[in-house]
Amino acid sequence: MSAHHLARVAAIVLVVGLLGPIAGMMAASLLPETRVFGGFPWTGPLTLTTEHYAALIEERGFLLPIRNSLIVATATTLVAVPCATLCAYALARLPMRGKGVLLALLLAVSMFPQISIVAPLFLVLRNIGLLDTFPGLVLPYVTFTTPLAVWLLTGFFRQLPRDLEDAARMDGASRLRVIRDVVLPVAAPGLASTAILTFLYCWNEFLFALSFTLGPEHQTVPVAIALFRGRYQIPWGQVLAAASIATLPVVAIVLAFQRRIVAGLTAGAVKG
Amino acid sequence: MPRLVGLVWLSCAVVAACGSTASERPRLTFSGSAVGAEGTLLRTQLARFSQRHPGIDVDIRITPDAADQRHQLYVQWLNARMVTPDVLQLDIVWTAEFAAAGWVQPLKEESVDANDFFPAAIAADRWRGVLYAVPWFVDVGLLYRRVDLFDRPPASLEALHGDALAAVQRGQAANGLVWQGARYEGLITVFLEYLTACGGRILDERGEVAVDSAAAVRALTLMRDGIGTFVPRSVVTSQEEQVRFSFQNGQSAFMRNWPYAWTLLQDERQSSVAGRVGVSFMPAASGGRPAAALGGGQLAINKFSRHPALALSLVEFLTDRDQMLERARVASQLPSRRSLYDGDELARAMSLPIGDLRAAIESAVARPVTPVYSEVSQLLQVHLHRALTRQEEPREALTEAAREMRALFARTGLSGQDAP
Amino acid sequence: MTTTSTSPHDSRLALLLVTPALVVIAGIALVPIAATVWEALHQHDLRLPWLGRPFIGAGNFIEALGDARFREAVAHTVAFSAISVPLELSLGLALAVLMHTVRRGRGLVRVAALLPWAIPTVVAALVWRLMFENVATAMRVDWFSDPLTAWIPIVVADVWKTTPFVAVLLLAGLQTIDPEVYDSARLDGASPMRQFLTITIPLLAPSLVVAAAFRTLDALRIFDVPYVMTAGGPGTATEPLSMYAFAALMERLRFGYGSALSITLFALTFVVALASVRALSRATPVEPS
Repeated sequence: MSAHHLARVAAIVLVVGLLGPIAGMMAASLLPETRVFGGFPWTGPLTLTTEHYAALIEERGFLLPIRNSLIVATATTLVAVPCATLCAYALARLPMRGKGVLLALLLAVSMFPQISIVAPLFLVLRNIGLLDTFPGLVLPYVTFTTPLAVWLLTGFFRQLPRDLEDAARMDGASRLRVIRDVVLPVAAPGLASTAILTFLYCWNEFLFALSFTLGPEHQTVPVAIALFRGRYQIPWGQVLAAASIATLPVVAIVLAFQRRIVAGLTAGAVKG
Repeated sequence: MPRLVGLVWLSCAVVAACGSTASERPRLTFSGSAVGAEGTLLRTQLARFSQRHPGIDVDIRITPDAADQRHQLYVQWLNARMVTPDVLQLDIVWTAEFAAAGWVQPLKEESVDANDFFPAAIAADRWRGVLYAVPWFVDVGLLYRRVDLFDRPPASLEALHGDALAAVQRGQAANGLVWQGARYEGLITVFLEYLTACGGRILDERGEVAVDSAAAVRALTLMRDGIGTFVPRSVVTSQEEQVRFSFQNGQSAFMRNWPYAWTLLQDERQSSVAGRVGVSFMPAASGGRPAAALGGGQLAINKFSRHPALALSLVEFLTDRDQMLERARVASQLPSRRSLYDGDELARAMSLPIGDLRAAIESAVARPVTPVYSEVSQLLQVHLHRALTRQEEPREALTEAAREMRALFARTGLSGQDAP
Repeated sequence: MTTTSTSPHDSRLALLLVTPALVVIAGIALVPIAATVWEALHQHDLRLPWLGRPFIGAGNFIEALGDARFREAVAHTVAFSAISVPLELSLGLALAVLMHTVRRGRGLVRVAALLPWAIPTVVAALVWRLMFENVATAMRVDWFSDPLTAWIPIVVADVWKTTPFVAVLLLAGLQTIDPEVYDSARLDGASPMRQFLTITIPLLAPSLVVAAAFRTLDALRIFDVPYVMTAGGPGTATEPLSMYAFAALMERLRFGYGSALSITLFALTFVVALASVRALSRATPVEPS
């Protein structure tokens, strides 16, 4: 077999291995509970059912965690990305002392183990009454997404040709004007990548959500799914349905924006 | 740029708006057991409360039924100073912990008519002389026996073991005696009964650790030696339900369990021993006294509740005579008010022979009342279980447990004088 | 290319633009980490408020050293990293080479690579738990009851989820290698394996180090997968350090001790981060001027 054939086979095996579990999860969520657990449902007639999804929404009110995740992820993105954009532009284009230090600091913060700051954040949030609220979760999320966003956007801005900016400045426009009218439109792809990555981070985050939210009014999707355990038995049908619901937006985003995501990930890694 | 800033502020406002929900009618939240017959009864009684106090609604916040999980959830909520639930159902061994941590409201003894409750039960709800919870129902450990095999209850612990062995040797039952021996809280209650029967205590009168006494070693040895002869090895992984099934299917001559099992045992549809069950309490060994382990639920008010006065009226309502009598009738839960055991109302409401019960509750023994009870229980469970599974000798196990308990009390600044 | 002159106005503007991000970082990351260090030097049990919050210096750390559960948690964390990171790097490299060579269906492979990384870790953990439990009932093997085998589903789930991310990182590096280098090597008679070893790996070294650094830091911090999959069980056999710190903080409410545990983890990641920076500066070839 030629190397090319080998690669082809390997590619197929890999795609199946990577996508199979996800596809299987979504398929299994449409099966009755007895077929899901206790051996692969290879044999027997296949009956599809949406009972798990119905139970999820009616009995468990699963729409609530979805709403909470959407609110938190959107709010974080809307705060972190503009904040990071300004910072990244300054780092990429403007003179400043201690740039290297700042970049190193930002990188360092994103490498913190999240558990290391749970204790003081918990106490502070409790004392100012922000425990189990949306702002109480958005603040830590902004902290952990901003450094990464700055790194990505700095690399991105550095790659942009300066001609447009220089031309605008020569025409007398102020820096801020230049940013708004010239840079941002051109930087839109980079901003989009960063926004997507930030949103995904918030949608998937678990530890902070587990520590700082306490009730269904504010718990996000990962926490809600994880807490399905701890009853007598794991209700696998509903868990799979919940997991499928949690995954669908991600699938949609990845399908729509795969190039952007890859561009975003590699911009920071390679140029950094 | 201004548009961007505006967008940010708008989203903050949206977020803030979603966070706050103001309500006009005061709503109380109750958290406790809400499954099965208990749950239906609870909803009925809460609806009745709303009728008597127009304008107040009570919601039920569901918690897992497993005690450990419910405990963990309460700890998280109260530590985070959540304002709901307003009223919580606590296990008898949690009150001291929650009181000492400043998580539940102190109560006035007169306003809840404290004298009417069984002394041991209400004592467990006091911490440093102040009352923090009200006993809602009580549980006591009971000895169930097959009356067709033994028409009289055994007079002593030695007699019980003798009868159990005889039943096995005569082939009357596969097992002589079953009790809860899994590594969980239930094991402590069984041990406590054996311990008291042998004249020992976990903490002595001065509150010092006494679990390494000779009486304790004797109790634990008695428990261990039965395993493999007239007590099946499966007890070391058994909790209440496994034990009940064993007796219910006719496999055991004697069973130690809680009162809840009585109604189920008399149900002919599922029980093979219906009508052939007698109940008494664990007998004393020589030198000891008969005593049942005390359990039960308490009602407490969240320290951070926004409606403490309303919560108190809910607690008073749920613990009044009529509601308690209804609980006895519908959910077979023993009332915690002594006065209900006079007269024959209760006897008519419950099928359990009341005479024995009152005596058992009066002499019931509570587990140590201390804020670190959960740690005490954990370390004691480990060593008791190791002794029962023959990984340690009883003397070593109890000596080590006592050492760890003393270290725990020293480390947490809790000397003995807080114990009853 | 004309260069516009920069003015002090620009410097001030730079400071202004950088401030929001700096405030966020300082306020919600730097200050708390200092607070955690400070907390770790005190005894602070939220269930025993009458004990106050006395300063005990290194007391918590000394207790940790004598705590078997802590030593095991550290061992678990280090062992897990030592096993999963090389797996992810090698599989990621293979996947990257694959993505590089495959022409048709590139979009599909890319989606396949991104999806596991993008979905919530909680979901990945549950899906793999279900798959392993199904296999367990079929093979009559109980993975989750044995202290050693319970790690296998955890490693599998983590590798499955993060290998594609490594691949994407390495792919970018692969794409910057000039094909002419390979051509001249082939003309010299070098086999594909030799080309791989003498050209690809050295040129990929910076990307490999970056990927290794990121993955190691993530492996040290791991929390979601064991929490959801095994809850640290059986017993505490699959409990990494982050989970033990979480249990000490949020379940036992021992904030002083839990902070000491978190700081230990922080120190561990700090050491690894420093080592990575060193390794990176040595792996990055000096650009010819």
